[in-house]
Amino acid sequence: MKFLAMCSTGLGSSFMVRMNIETVVRELGLADVTVEHSDISSAGPDSADVFFVAKDLEDTAQGLGDVVVLNSIIDMDELREAVKDAAARHGLL
Amino acid sequence: MLSRLLPERNIHFTDDKLTWREAVTRVARPLVEAGDVTPEYVQAMLDSIAAGGTYIDLGHGIALAHARPEYGVVRTGIAMLRLREPAPLLDRPEHAVDLYFCFAAADADAHLRAMASLARILSDAPTRQALREAASASEVVKLITEFEESE
Repeated sequence: MKFLAMCSTGLGSSFMVRMNIETVVRELGLADVTVEHSDISSAGPDSADVFFVAKDLEDTAQGLGDVVVLNSIIDMDELREAVKDAAARHGLL
Repeated sequence: MLSRLLPERNIHFTDDKLTWREAVTRVARPLVEAGDVTPEYVQAMLDSIAAGGTYIDLGHGIALAHARPEYGVVRTGIAMLRLREPAPLLDRPEHAVDLYFCFAAADADAHLRAMASLARILSDAPTRQALREAASASEVVKLITEFEESE
């Protein structure tokens, strides 16, 4: 199972989201989840099972598959719920 | 780590009503004056936001203005500007920002380390709130130092 955090450059916010997802994945004790980050233009539907983006990339991310849109990329409560939901959708919880 | 990159001289507060362009230019000023970034770096940040880059909006009224290292970073550094009145990115009310950071990393490795340390501190809800409430540069530095010592 792969979670991919994406932003426009693949340098800034996607890296922050990736770190925060990794923290939540550890908290929830999810096994077999890898977390990566990249710029959105180099991601395709096969790049990951779940894609995380901030609100500004909501439209661009359509068509990739299971896309999670975050209101704030530094809100751990929001992210925790989003990761929990994603894990449940994919039968990990 | 962060406390070293964000010294008191890089932290400013203003009561002025600013546009997002003025806010980005103002937050970067200490880095430009110290020679940490070139004026081209400031222009690159403005261009990238103008091109739709509201991705620098982290939420909770905080934005992290940055561009790629090759656009004019001489030395890795961070600066902060706290506004009394929000300066919404691209003048969009949904991107109201009153706490601007300018982030300049000299290379990819420095970039990731500084970004990681900023992400940890801004994602910690109590510290984030305390940072928003801080009223002086020395208070901000103290908060960050205490957070890093507690890790």
